[in-house]
Amino acid sequence: MICRSALSRGSKLALGRQGARGFAAAASPKASYEPTTIAGVKVASRDDNGPTTRLAVVAKAGTRYEPLPGLTVGLEEFAYKNTNKRSALRINREAELLGGQLTAYHTREALVLQASFLREDLPYFTELLAEVVSQTRYTTHEFHEEVKDIIHQKQAKVDASAVALDAAHAVAFHSGLGAPLYPTPSTPIDSYLNEQAVADFAAAAYSKSNIAVVADGASDHGLQKWIEPFFKSVPAQGSGSLNNAASKYHGGEQRISAVGQNSVVIAFPGASLGASSPETAVLAGLLGGESTIKWSPGFSLLSQAAAPGAQARATNYAYSDAGLLAIQINGQSAAVKKTAEAAVKALKSVAESGVPQEVLVKAIAKAKFTLLSGSEVGGVGIVHAGANLIHGGSPLKVAETLKAFESVTGDKLKAAAKALLEGKASVASVGDLHVLPFAEDLGLQV
Amino acid sequence: MSAPTLVNYVAKRPWLQKLLKPVASWYTNASLYRQMGLKADDLISEENTDVLKALGRLTPKESYDRIYRIRRATQLSLQQKILPKNEWTKPEEDVPYLSPILQAIEAEAKEKQALDTLVPAKGSH
Repeated sequence: MICRSALSRGSKLALGRQGARGFAAAASPKASYEPTTIAGVKVASRDDNGPTTRLAVVAKAGTRYEPLPGLTVGLEEFAYKNTNKRSALRINREAELLGGQLTAYHTREALVLQASFLREDLPYFTELLAEVVSQTRYTTHEFHEEVKDIIHQKQAKVDASAVALDAAHAVAFHSGLGAPLYPTPSTPIDSYLNEQAVADFAAAAYSKSNIAVVADGASDHGLQKWIEPFFKSVPAQGSGSLNNAASKYHGGEQRISAVGQNSVVIAFPGASLGASSPETAVLAGLLGGESTIKWSPGFSLLSQAAAPGAQARATNYAYSDAGLLAIQINGQSAAVKKTAEAAVKALKSVAESGVPQEVLVKAIAKAKFTLLSGSEVGGVGIVHAGANLIHGGSPLKVAETLKAFESVTGDKLKAAAKALLEGKASVASVGDLHVLPFAEDLGLQV
Repeated sequence: MSAPTLVNYVAKRPWLQKLLKPVASWYTNASLYRQMGLKADDLISEENTDVLKALGRLTPKESYDRIYRIRRATQLSLQQKILPKNEWTKPEEDVPYLSPILQAIEAEAKEKQALDTLVPAKGSH
Protein backbone atom coordinates (compact mmCIF):
# COMPACT_ATOMS: atom_id res chain seq x y z
CA MET A 1 0.00 0.00 0.00
CA ILE A 2 0.99 3.62 0.10
CA CYS A 3 3.99 4.41 2.28
CA ARG A 4 2.55 6.68 4.98
CA SER A 5 5.71 8.56 5.86
CA ALA A 6 5.83 9.88 2.33
CA LEU A 7 2.54 11.71 2.74
CA SER A 8 1.87 15.09 4.26
CA ARG A 9 -0.30 15.46 7.36
CA GLY A 10 -3.29 16.61 5.35
CA SER A 11 -3.29 13.66 3.04
CA LYS A 12 -2.80 11.30 5.99
CA LEU A 13 -5.98 12.71 7.46
CA ALA A 14 -7.76 12.28 4.17
CA LEU A 15 -6.56 8.70 3.84
CA GLY A 16 -7.66 7.94 7.37
CA ARG A 17 -11.09 9.36 6.79
CA GLN A 18 -11.46 7.41 3.58
CA GLY A 19 -10.37 4.28 5.39
CA ALA A 20 -13.02 4.82 8.00
CA ARG A 21 -15.70 5.22 5.37
CA GLY A 22 -14.43 2.24 3.44
CA PHE A 23 -13.60 1.84 -0.22
CA ALA A 24 -16.95 0.23 -0.84
CA ALA A 25 -18.46 3.69 -0.72
CA ALA A 26 -16.92 4.33 -4.12
CA ALA A 27 -19.08 1.59 -5.57
CA SER A 28 -22.49 2.88 -4.57
CA PRO A 29 -25.44 1.10 -6.23
CA LYS A 30 -26.10 4.20 -8.36
CA ALA A 31 -23.06 3.39 -10.47
CA SER A 32 -24.86 0.44 -12.10
CA TYR A 33 -27.72 0.53 -14.56
CA GLU A 34 -30.89 -1.25 -13.43
CA PRO A 35 -32.47 -3.41 -16.13
CA THR A 36 -36.27 -3.48 -16.57
CA THR A 37 -38.71 -4.13 -19.36
CA ILE A 38 -41.36 -1.56 -20.25
CA ALA A 39 -44.03 -2.62 -22.75
CA GLY A 40 -41.71 -5.13 -24.38
CA VAL A 41 -38.79 -2.70 -24.63
CA LYS A 42 -35.65 -3.53 -22.68
CA VAL A 43 -34.69 -0.56 -20.56
CA ALA A 44 -31.63 0.08 -18.45
CA SER A 45 -31.76 3.15 -16.26
CA ARG A 46 -30.05 4.91 -13.45
CA ASP A 47 -31.06 8.18 -11.90
CA ASP A 48 -28.77 10.53 -10.05
CA ASN A 49 -31.42 13.27 -9.88
CA GLY A 50 -29.18 15.58 -11.89
CA PRO A 51 -30.54 18.40 -14.06
CA THR A 52 -29.76 16.70 -17.37
CA THR A 53 -30.70 13.39 -18.92
CA ARG A 54 -29.05 11.19 -21.49
CA LEU A 55 -31.39 8.88 -23.32
CA ALA A 56 -30.10 6.43 -25.88
CA VAL A 57 -31.46 3.75 -28.14
CA VAL A 58 -28.79 1.08 -28.44
CA ALA A 59 -29.47 -1.25 -31.37
CA LYS A 60 -27.73 -4.50 -32.15
CA ALA A 61 -26.69 -3.10 -35.52
CA GLY A 62 -22.97 -2.43 -35.30
CA THR A 63 -20.61 -3.27 -38.13
CA ARG A 64 -20.45 -6.81 -36.83
CA TYR A 65 -24.12 -7.45 -37.61
CA GLU A 66 -24.42 -5.68 -40.97
CA PRO A 67 -25.36 -8.18 -43.69
CA LEU A 68 -23.61 -6.06 -46.35
CA PRO A 69 -20.63 -3.73 -45.97
CA GLY A 70 -21.38 -0.12 -45.15
CA LEU A 71 -24.99 -0.51 -44.00
CA THR A 72 -24.23 0.43 -40.39
CA VAL A 73 -22.66 3.73 -41.35
CA GLY A 74 -25.55 4.33 -43.74
CA LEU A 75 -28.07 3.74 -40.98
CA GLU A 76 -26.06 5.94 -38.63
CA GLU A 77 -26.07 8.84 -41.06
CA PHE A 78 -29.79 8.41 -41.71
CA ALA A 79 -30.52 9.08 -38.05
CA TYR A 80 -32.64 12.21 -37.48
CA LYS A 81 -33.42 12.55 -41.20
CA ASN A 82 -36.94 13.02 -42.58
CA THR A 83 -39.57 10.92 -40.86
CA ASN A 84 -43.20 10.39 -41.74
CA LYS A 85 -44.16 13.01 -39.18
CA ARG A 86 -41.61 15.79 -39.58
CA SER A 87 -38.63 16.89 -41.58
CA ALA A 88 -34.98 16.58 -40.63
CA LEU A 89 -34.77 20.35 -40.41
CA ARG A 90 -37.64 20.51 -37.95
CA ILE A 91 -36.06 17.81 -35.80
CA ASN A 92 -32.85 19.84 -35.67
CA ARG A 93 -34.49 23.14 -34.94
CA GLU A 94 -36.81 21.74 -32.29
CA ALA A 95 -33.92 20.01 -30.54
CA GLU A 96 -31.98 23.28 -30.67
CA LEU A 97 -34.87 25.21 -29.18
CA LEU A 98 -34.99 22.77 -26.27
CA GLY A 99 -31.23 22.91 -25.83
CA GLY A 100 -30.87 19.22 -26.59
CA GLN A 101 -28.02 17.44 -28.30
CA LEU A 102 -28.61 14.65 -30.79
CA THR A 103 -25.86 12.25 -31.74
CA ALA A 104 -25.60 8.96 -33.55
CA TYR A 105 -22.53 6.76 -33.43
CA HIS A 106 -21.64 3.14 -33.73
CA THR A 107 -19.24 0.63 -32.31
CA ARG A 108 -18.45 -2.77 -33.72
CA GLU A 109 -21.51 -4.19 -32.00
CA ALA A 110 -23.94 -1.40 -31.35
CA LEU A 111 -25.53 1.49 -33.15
CA VAL A 112 -26.40 4.24 -30.69
CA LEU A 113 -28.88 7.07 -31.13
CA GLN A 114 -28.36 9.34 -28.19
CA ALA A 115 -30.10 12.48 -27.00
CA SER A 116 -28.85 14.64 -24.15
CA PHE A 117 -31.32 17.18 -22.83
CA LEU A 118 -32.80 18.92 -19.81
CA ARG A 119 -34.59 16.63 -17.45
CA GLU A 120 -38.08 18.02 -18.04
CA ASP A 121 -37.92 17.38 -21.81
CA LEU A 122 -38.04 13.60 -21.46
CA PRO A 123 -41.40 13.15 -23.26
CA TYR A 124 -40.28 15.12 -26.33
CA PHE A 125 -37.02 13.23 -26.78
CA THR A 126 -38.57 9.83 -26.03
CA GLU A 127 -41.04 10.49 -28.81
CA LEU A 128 -38.28 11.71 -31.12
CA LEU A 129 -36.08 8.64 -30.64
CA ALA A 130 -39.02 6.29 -31.11
CA GLU A 131 -40.00 8.18 -34.26
CA VAL A 132 -36.47 8.05 -35.68
CA VAL A 133 -36.31 4.33 -35.00
CA SER A 134 -39.69 3.41 -36.45
CA GLN A 135 -40.67 6.08 -38.95
CA THR A 136 -37.61 7.35 -40.79
CA ARG A 137 -38.36 7.50 -44.50
CA TYR A 138 -34.92 6.68 -45.95
CA THR A 139 -35.55 8.83 -49.01
CA THR A 140 -33.48 8.56 -52.15
CA HIS A 141 -32.67 12.25 -52.41
CA GLU A 142 -31.40 12.47 -48.84
CA PHE A 143 -29.15 9.50 -49.51
CA HIS A 144 -27.67 11.11 -52.61
CA GLU A 145 -27.61 14.71 -51.42
CA GLU A 146 -26.54 14.31 -47.78
CA VAL A 147 -25.79 10.83 -46.47
CA LYS A 148 -23.34 9.86 -49.20
CA ASP A 149 -21.36 13.10 -48.87
CA ILE A 150 -21.01 12.73 -45.11
CA ILE A 151 -19.86 9.14 -45.47
CA HIS A 152 -17.25 10.17 -48.03
CA GLN A 153 -16.01 12.96 -45.78
CA LYS A 154 -15.71 10.64 -42.81
CA GLN A 155 -14.00 8.00 -44.95
CA ALA A 156 -11.34 10.54 -45.88
CA LYS A 157 -10.60 11.05 -42.19
CA VAL A 158 -9.87 7.39 -41.42
CA ASP A 159 -6.23 7.46 -40.32
CA ALA A 160 -3.47 4.86 -40.14
CA SER A 161 -4.20 3.92 -36.52
CA ALA A 162 -7.85 3.19 -37.35
CA VAL A 163 -6.84 1.16 -40.41
CA ALA A 164 -4.34 -0.80 -38.32
CA LEU A 165 -6.90 -1.52 -35.61
CA ASP A 166 -9.42 -2.65 -38.25
CA ALA A 167 -6.78 -4.85 -39.87
CA ALA A 168 -5.94 -6.43 -36.50
CA HIS A 169 -9.64 -7.15 -35.96
CA ALA A 170 -9.89 -8.56 -39.46
CA VAL A 171 -7.06 -11.06 -38.98
CA ALA A 172 -8.25 -11.87 -35.46
CA PHE A 173 -11.92 -12.48 -36.23
CA HIS A 174 -12.14 -12.61 -40.07
CA SER A 175 -15.83 -11.74 -40.67
CA GLY A 176 -18.24 -10.30 -38.10
CA LEU A 177 -16.09 -8.43 -35.62
CA GLY A 178 -13.45 -8.28 -38.35
CA ALA A 179 -15.56 -5.91 -40.45
CA PRO A 180 -14.00 -2.44 -40.53
CA LEU A 181 -15.46 0.04 -38.05
CA TYR A 182 -15.51 2.69 -40.74
CA PRO A 183 -14.99 1.70 -44.39
CA THR A 184 -11.91 3.34 -45.89
CA PRO A 185 -12.08 5.16 -49.25
CA SER A 186 -10.75 1.98 -50.89
CA THR A 187 -13.43 -0.28 -49.38
CA PRO A 188 -15.92 -1.11 -52.14
CA ILE A 189 -19.23 -0.22 -50.50
CA ASP A 190 -20.98 1.66 -53.29
CA SER A 191 -22.45 -1.48 -54.80
CA TYR A 192 -24.00 -2.49 -51.46
CA LEU A 193 -24.93 0.82 -49.91
CA ASN A 194 -28.14 2.44 -51.09
CA GLU A 195 -31.23 3.80 -49.38
CA GLN A 196 -33.26 0.65 -50.04
CA ALA A 197 -30.61 -1.59 -48.46
CA VAL A 198 -30.39 0.77 -45.48
CA ALA A 199 -34.18 0.71 -45.08
CA ASP A 200 -34.16 -3.09 -45.15
CA PHE A 201 -31.36 -3.15 -42.59
CA ALA A 202 -33.31 -0.72 -40.41
CA ALA A 203 -36.38 -2.99 -40.57
CA ALA A 204 -34.22 -5.87 -39.38
CA ALA A 205 -32.32 -3.90 -36.74
CA TYR A 206 -34.91 -1.59 -35.19
CA SER A 207 -37.25 -4.02 -33.48
CA LYS A 208 -38.13 -4.35 -29.82
CA SER A 209 -36.14 -7.56 -29.51
CA ASN A 210 -33.09 -5.92 -31.04
CA ILE A 211 -32.91 -2.60 -29.23
CA ALA A 212 -32.44 -1.42 -25.69
CA VAL A 213 -33.26 1.98 -24.27
CA VAL A 214 -30.66 3.28 -21.86
CA ALA A 215 -31.55 6.23 -19.67
CA ASP A 216 -29.11 8.09 -17.49
CA GLY A 217 -30.72 10.66 -15.25
CA ALA A 218 -34.38 10.03 -16.07
CA SER A 219 -36.93 9.15 -13.42
CA ASP A 220 -38.38 5.64 -13.47
CA HIS A 221 -41.83 7.13 -13.34
CA GLY A 222 -41.18 9.21 -16.47
CA LEU A 223 -39.78 6.24 -18.37
CA GLN A 224 -42.73 4.04 -17.41
CA LYS A 225 -45.11 6.74 -18.55
CA TRP A 226 -43.57 7.73 -21.88
CA ILE A 227 -41.80 4.69 -23.33
CA GLU A 228 -45.00 2.64 -23.55
CA PRO A 229 -47.02 5.03 -25.81
CA PHE A 230 -44.17 6.21 -28.02
CA PHE A 231 -42.42 2.90 -28.64
CA LYS A 232 -45.71 1.24 -29.57
CA SER A 233 -44.95 1.74 -33.26
CA VAL A 234 -41.66 -0.18 -33.04
CA PRO A 235 -42.28 -3.74 -34.30
CA ALA A 236 -41.74 -6.59 -31.83
CA GLN A 237 -39.74 -8.66 -34.30
CA GLY A 238 -37.53 -7.39 -37.08
CA SER A 239 -37.98 -8.44 -40.69
CA GLY A 240 -34.94 -9.63 -42.55
CA SER A 241 -31.81 -11.05 -41.09
CA LEU A 242 -28.65 -9.82 -39.41
CA ASN A 243 -25.24 -11.37 -39.61
CA ASN A 244 -25.39 -13.23 -36.31
CA ALA A 245 -22.41 -15.59 -36.68
CA ALA A 246 -20.50 -16.26 -33.46
CA SER A 247 -16.97 -14.90 -33.16
CA LYS A 248 -13.97 -17.14 -33.40
CA TYR A 249 -10.40 -16.04 -32.81
CA HIS A 250 -7.98 -16.80 -35.64
CA GLY A 251 -4.90 -14.59 -35.38
CA GLY A 252 -2.45 -13.68 -38.10
CA GLU A 253 -0.56 -10.82 -39.63
CA GLN A 254 -1.52 -8.03 -42.00
CA ARG A 255 0.75 -5.39 -43.55
CA ILE A 256 -0.59 -2.38 -45.45
CA SER A 257 1.44 0.36 -47.13
CA ALA A 258 0.48 3.91 -46.33
CA VAL A 259 2.10 7.28 -46.75
CA GLY A 260 2.67 9.69 -43.91
CA GLN A 261 1.44 7.82 -40.88
CA ASN A 262 2.69 4.66 -39.21
CA SER A 263 0.82 2.39 -36.89
CA VAL A 264 1.39 -1.06 -35.46
CA VAL A 265 -1.26 -3.00 -33.57
CA ILE A 266 -0.27 -6.08 -31.58
CA ALA A 267 -3.37 -7.86 -30.37
CA PHE A 268 -4.18 -10.94 -28.34
CA PRO A 269 -7.45 -12.64 -27.38
CA GLY A 270 -8.86 -10.48 -24.60
CA ALA A 271 -11.79 -10.57 -22.22
CA SER A 272 -15.37 -10.43 -23.51
CA LEU A 273 -18.00 -8.21 -21.91
CA GLY A 274 -19.64 -10.71 -19.62
CA ALA A 275 -16.49 -12.70 -18.82
CA SER A 276 -15.02 -12.37 -15.38
CA SER A 277 -11.36 -12.15 -16.24
CA PRO A 278 -10.00 -9.37 -14.07
CA GLU A 279 -6.45 -10.32 -15.10
CA THR A 280 -7.03 -8.94 -18.58
CA ALA A 281 -8.26 -5.60 -17.28
CA VAL A 282 -5.35 -5.36 -14.83
CA LEU A 283 -2.92 -6.38 -17.57
CA ALA A 284 -4.32 -3.60 -19.76
CA GLY A 285 -3.82 -1.22 -16.84
CA LEU A 286 -0.29 -2.50 -16.34
CA LEU A 287 0.59 -2.07 -20.01
CA GLY A 288 -1.17 1.28 -19.87
CA GLY A 289 0.22 3.76 -22.32
CA GLU A 290 -0.17 7.49 -22.35
CA SER A 291 0.75 8.99 -19.02
CA THR A 292 -2.20 10.02 -16.91
CA ILE A 293 -0.21 12.35 -14.69
CA LYS A 294 1.86 15.39 -15.55
CA TRP A 295 5.68 15.60 -15.63
CA SER A 296 6.21 11.85 -15.61
CA PRO A 297 5.95 9.02 -18.09
CA GLY A 298 4.05 7.09 -15.40
CA PHE A 299 4.59 3.56 -14.15
CA SER A 300 2.97 1.74 -17.06
CA LEU A 301 5.11 -0.59 -19.14
CA LEU A 302 4.19 0.91 -22.50
CA SER A 303 4.83 4.52 -21.50
CA GLN A 304 8.30 3.46 -20.41
CA ALA A 305 8.79 1.38 -23.55
CA ALA A 306 7.69 4.16 -25.92
CA ALA A 307 10.58 5.67 -27.87
CA PRO A 308 10.53 9.43 -28.49
CA GLY A 309 8.29 10.09 -31.48
CA ALA A 310 5.87 7.25 -30.81
CA GLN A 311 2.88 6.76 -28.54
CA ALA A 312 1.71 3.39 -27.33
CA ARG A 313 -1.37 2.34 -25.44
CA ALA A 314 -3.06 -0.89 -24.48
CA THR A 315 -6.82 -1.37 -24.50
CA ASN A 316 -9.04 -4.35 -23.94
CA TYR A 317 -11.73 -4.14 -26.60
CA ALA A 318 -14.55 -6.12 -25.02
CA TYR A 319 -17.36 -7.50 -27.17
CA SER A 320 -20.32 -9.68 -26.31
CA ASP A 321 -18.69 -13.01 -27.14
CA ALA A 322 -15.02 -12.16 -27.62
CA GLY A 323 -12.41 -9.62 -26.67
CA LEU A 324 -9.22 -8.23 -28.10
CA LEU A 325 -6.39 -6.96 -25.95
CA ALA A 326 -4.65 -4.58 -28.31
CA ILE A 327 -1.42 -2.65 -28.02
CA GLN A 328 -1.59 0.28 -30.44
CA ILE A 329 1.60 2.11 -31.41
CA ASN A 330 1.51 5.26 -33.54
CA GLY A 331 4.19 7.71 -34.58
CA GLN A 332 7.31 7.90 -36.73
CA SER A 333 8.29 4.64 -38.40
CA ALA A 334 11.64 4.10 -36.64
CA ALA A 335 10.20 5.01 -33.25
CA VAL A 336 7.19 2.76 -33.85
CA LYS A 337 9.52 -0.14 -34.65
CA LYS A 338 11.58 0.43 -31.51
CA THR A 339 8.47 0.77 -29.36
CA ALA A 340 6.91 -2.40 -30.77
CA GLU A 341 10.06 -4.35 -29.93
CA ALA A 342 10.21 -2.87 -26.43
CA ALA A 343 6.50 -3.54 -25.85
CA VAL A 344 6.82 -7.22 -26.71
CA LYS A 345 9.93 -7.42 -24.52
CA ALA A 346 8.02 -5.85 -21.62
CA LEU A 347 5.17 -8.33 -22.03
CA LYS A 348 7.67 -11.20 -22.12
CA SER A 349 9.30 -9.99 -18.93
CA VAL A 350 5.88 -10.01 -17.23
CA ALA A 351 5.33 -13.58 -18.44
CA GLU A 352 8.73 -14.72 -17.21
CA SER A 353 9.37 -12.84 -14.01
CA GLY A 354 6.02 -11.32 -13.04
CA VAL A 355 5.68 -7.79 -11.71
CA PRO A 356 6.72 -6.21 -8.40
CA GLN A 357 3.92 -5.90 -5.84
CA GLU A 358 4.09 -2.10 -5.93
CA VAL A 359 3.50 -1.97 -9.68
CA LEU A 360 0.67 -4.48 -9.37
CA VAL A 361 -1.11 -2.21 -6.86
CA LYS A 362 -0.78 0.70 -9.25
CA ALA A 363 -2.08 -1.39 -12.15
CA ILE A 364 -5.11 -2.53 -10.15
CA ALA A 365 -5.83 1.07 -9.11
CA LYS A 366 -5.57 2.14 -12.76
CA ALA A 367 -7.92 -0.63 -13.90
CA LYS A 368 -10.41 0.36 -11.22
CA PHE A 369 -10.30 3.99 -12.21
CA THR A 370 -10.73 3.16 -15.89
CA LEU A 371 -13.76 1.01 -15.11
CA LEU A 372 -15.41 3.56 -12.82
CA SER A 373 -14.73 6.61 -14.94
CA GLY A 374 -15.80 4.67 -18.03
CA SER A 375 -19.13 3.73 -16.51
CA GLU A 376 -19.72 7.17 -15.05
CA VAL A 377 -18.86 9.70 -17.71
CA GLY A 378 -18.79 9.65 -21.50
CA GLY A 379 -20.77 7.28 -23.61
CA VAL A 380 -19.00 4.05 -22.67
CA GLY A 381 -21.36 3.23 -19.83
CA ILE A 382 -24.39 3.70 -22.06
CA VAL A 383 -23.08 1.52 -24.86
CA HIS A 384 -22.01 -1.26 -22.52
CA ALA A 385 -25.26 -1.21 -20.58
CA GLY A 386 -27.29 -1.33 -23.78
CA ALA A 387 -25.15 -3.95 -25.48
CA ASN A 388 -25.25 -6.22 -22.46
CA LEU A 389 -29.01 -5.93 -22.27
CA ILE A 390 -29.58 -6.86 -25.92
CA HIS A 391 -27.23 -9.80 -25.67
CA GLY A 392 -29.15 -11.16 -22.71
CA GLY A 393 -26.58 -10.35 -20.06
CA SER A 394 -27.16 -7.97 -17.21
CA PRO A 395 -25.49 -4.56 -17.03
CA LEU A 396 -22.00 -4.42 -15.55
CA LYS A 397 -22.01 -5.01 -11.80
CA VAL A 398 -19.49 -2.40 -10.76
CA ALA A 399 -19.03 -3.41 -7.13
CA GLU A 400 -18.42 -7.09 -7.94
CA THR A 401 -16.00 -6.29 -10.73
CA LEU A 402 -14.00 -4.02 -8.47
CA LYS A 403 -13.74 -6.80 -5.90
CA ALA A 404 -12.49 -9.15 -8.62
CA PHE A 405 -9.77 -6.65 -9.55
CA GLU A 406 -8.54 -6.67 -5.95
CA SER A 407 -8.13 -10.43 -6.07
CA VAL A 408 -5.62 -10.36 -8.95
CA THR A 409 -2.19 -11.53 -7.79
CA GLY A 410 1.22 -11.37 -9.40
CA ASP A 411 1.10 -15.06 -10.23
CA LYS A 412 -2.27 -14.78 -11.96
CA LEU A 413 -0.99 -11.87 -14.02
CA LYS A 414 2.13 -13.83 -14.95
CA ALA A 415 0.04 -16.80 -16.07
CA ALA A 416 -2.25 -14.54 -18.09
CA ALA A 417 0.68 -12.89 -19.90
CA LYS A 418 2.22 -16.26 -20.58
CA ALA A 419 -1.00 -17.61 -22.07
CA LEU A 420 -1.20 -14.61 -24.38
CA LEU A 421 2.33 -15.04 -25.69
CA GLU A 422 1.89 -18.77 -26.22
CA GLY A 423 -1.27 -18.29 -28.26
CA LYS A 424 -1.53 -16.77 -31.71
CA ALA A 425 -1.21 -13.00 -31.91
CA SER A 426 -2.87 -10.68 -34.41
CA VAL A 427 -0.43 -8.15 -35.77
CA ALA A 428 -1.21 -5.32 -38.17
CA SER A 429 1.30 -2.83 -39.53
CA VAL A 430 0.27 0.20 -41.54
CA GLY A 431 2.71 2.72 -42.96
CA ASP A 432 6.33 2.49 -44.09
CA LEU A 433 6.66 -1.27 -44.43
CA HIS A 434 10.39 -0.98 -45.17
CA VAL A 435 10.88 -0.08 -41.51
CA LEU A 436 7.95 -1.60 -39.65
CA PRO A 437 8.77 -5.03 -38.20
CA PHE A 438 7.24 -8.40 -39.03
CA ALA A 439 5.49 -10.25 -36.22
CA GLU A 440 8.10 -12.97 -36.35
CA ASP A 441 10.90 -10.43 -35.82
CA LEU A 442 9.06 -9.18 -32.76
CA GLY A 443 9.05 -12.71 -31.39
CA LEU A 444 5.33 -13.32 -31.70
CA GLN A 445 3.49 -16.33 -33.04
CA VAL A 446 0.96 -15.59 -35.74
CA MET B 1 -41.59 26.86 -59.82
CA SER B 2 -44.96 25.22 -59.94
CA ALA B 3 -47.62 27.33 -61.60
CA PRO B 4 -50.41 28.91 -59.51
CA THR B 5 -53.43 26.68 -59.67
CA LEU B 6 -57.02 26.45 -58.50
CA VAL B 7 -57.11 22.69 -58.89
CA ASN B 8 -57.56 22.01 -55.17
CA TYR B 9 -60.41 24.50 -54.97
CA VAL B 10 -62.15 22.87 -57.90
CA ALA B 11 -61.47 19.29 -56.81
CA LYS B 12 -63.28 19.93 -53.52
CA ARG B 13 -66.47 20.89 -55.35
CA PRO B 14 -67.74 17.98 -57.49
CA TRP B 15 -70.30 20.08 -59.34
CA LEU B 16 -67.64 22.57 -60.35
CA GLN B 17 -65.29 19.81 -61.38
CA LYS B 18 -68.00 18.21 -63.48
CA LEU B 19 -68.67 21.53 -65.10
CA LEU B 20 -65.06 22.39 -65.84
CA LYS B 21 -63.67 18.98 -66.78
CA PRO B 22 -64.74 19.06 -70.46
CA VAL B 23 -63.41 22.60 -70.78
CA ALA B 24 -60.09 21.57 -69.20
CA SER B 25 -59.75 18.53 -71.44
CA TRP B 26 -60.45 20.61 -74.49
CA TYR B 27 -57.90 23.20 -73.43
CA THR B 28 -55.22 20.60 -72.70
CA ASN B 29 -55.76 19.04 -76.11
CA ALA B 30 -55.78 22.39 -77.83
CA SER B 31 -52.43 23.34 -76.31
CA LEU B 32 -50.90 20.67 -78.57
CA TYR B 33 -48.13 19.44 -76.26
CA ARG B 34 -49.61 15.94 -76.22
CA GLN B 35 -49.47 15.87 -79.98
CA MET B 36 -45.71 16.49 -79.62
CA GLY B 37 -45.37 13.55 -77.26
CA LEU B 38 -44.76 15.68 -74.17
CA LYS B 39 -46.20 15.48 -70.69
CA ALA B 40 -47.50 18.53 -68.86
CA ASP B 41 -44.59 18.45 -66.39
CA ASP B 42 -42.10 18.69 -69.29
CA LEU B 43 -43.32 22.26 -69.80
CA ILE B 44 -42.17 23.50 -66.40
CA SER B 45 -39.38 26.00 -66.89
CA GLU B 46 -35.99 24.68 -65.93
CA GLU B 47 -34.43 28.07 -65.22
CA ASN B 48 -35.03 27.90 -61.48
CA THR B 49 -32.94 26.43 -58.67
CA ASP B 50 -35.88 24.54 -57.19
CA VAL B 51 -36.70 22.90 -60.52
CA LEU B 52 -33.05 22.00 -61.09
CA LYS B 53 -32.97 20.40 -57.65
CA ALA B 54 -36.18 18.50 -58.44
CA LEU B 55 -34.75 17.30 -61.76
CA GLY B 56 -31.76 15.97 -59.81
CA ARG B 57 -34.11 13.86 -57.71
CA LEU B 58 -35.71 12.05 -60.67
CA THR B 59 -34.80 8.41 -61.11
CA PRO B 60 -32.36 7.73 -63.98
CA LYS B 61 -35.20 6.20 -66.04
CA GLU B 62 -37.52 9.18 -65.55
CA SER B 63 -34.71 11.56 -66.35
CA TYR B 64 -33.80 9.69 -69.55
CA ASP B 65 -37.40 9.55 -70.75
CA ARG B 66 -37.85 13.25 -70.10
CA ILE B 67 -34.82 14.18 -72.17
CA TYR B 68 -36.02 11.86 -74.95
CA ARG B 69 -39.45 13.49 -75.07
CA ILE B 70 -37.98 16.97 -75.10
CA ARG B 71 -35.51 16.20 -77.89
CA ARG B 72 -38.22 14.57 -79.97
CA ALA B 73 -40.48 17.58 -79.47
CA THR B 74 -37.68 19.97 -80.45
CA GLN B 75 -37.11 17.99 -83.63
CA LEU B 76 -40.83 18.01 -84.43
CA SER B 77 -40.94 21.72 -83.83
CA LEU B 78 -38.09 22.27 -86.29
CA GLN B 79 -39.81 20.15 -88.89
CA GLN B 80 -43.16 21.85 -88.30
CA LYS B 81 -44.78 18.46 -87.71
CA ILE B 82 -46.74 16.63 -85.07
CA LEU B 83 -46.46 12.96 -84.19
CA PRO B 84 -48.67 10.31 -85.82
CA LYS B 85 -51.82 9.95 -83.76
CA ASN B 86 -50.92 6.61 -82.16
CA GLU B 87 -47.79 8.18 -80.63
CA TRP B 88 -49.56 11.13 -78.99
CA THR B 89 -49.34 11.23 -75.21
CA LYS B 90 -52.47 9.56 -73.92
CA PRO B 91 -54.38 11.40 -71.16
CA GLU B 92 -53.71 8.52 -68.70
CA GLU B 93 -49.96 8.74 -69.42
CA ASP B 94 -49.92 12.45 -68.73
CA VAL B 95 -49.23 12.13 -65.02
CA PRO B 96 -47.29 14.64 -62.95
CA TYR B 97 -43.85 13.14 -62.31
CA LEU B 98 -41.98 16.32 -61.46
CA SER B 99 -44.48 18.54 -59.69
CA PRO B 100 -44.84 16.34 -56.56
CA ILE B 101 -41.06 16.56 -56.08
CA LEU B 102 -41.17 20.26 -56.77
CA GLN B 103 -43.94 20.76 -54.26
CA ALA B 104 -41.94 18.86 -51.63
CA ILE B 105 -38.91 21.10 -52.29
CA GLU B 106 -41.05 24.22 -52.04
CA ALA B 107 -42.56 22.96 -48.81
CA GLU B 108 -39.05 22.38 -47.44
CA ALA B 109 -38.02 25.91 -48.36
CA LYS B 110 -41.16 27.31 -46.83
CA GLU B 111 -40.62 25.38 -43.63
CA LYS B 112 -37.02 26.55 -43.49
CA GLN B 113 -38.12 30.13 -43.96
CA ALA B 114 -40.71 29.75 -41.22
CA LEU B 115 -38.23 28.21 -38.79
CA ASP B 116 -35.58 30.81 -39.63
CA THR B 117 -37.88 33.66 -38.81
CA LEU B 118 -39.47 32.33 -35.63
CA VAL B 119 -40.50 35.08 -33.28
CA PRO B 120 -40.85 34.18 -29.62
CA ALA B 121 -44.36 34.89 -28.42
CA LYS B 122 -44.53 37.64 -25.86
CA GLY B 123 -44.97 36.39 -22.34
CA SER B 124 -44.40 32.73 -23.15
CA HIS B 125 -41.37 32.73 -20.84
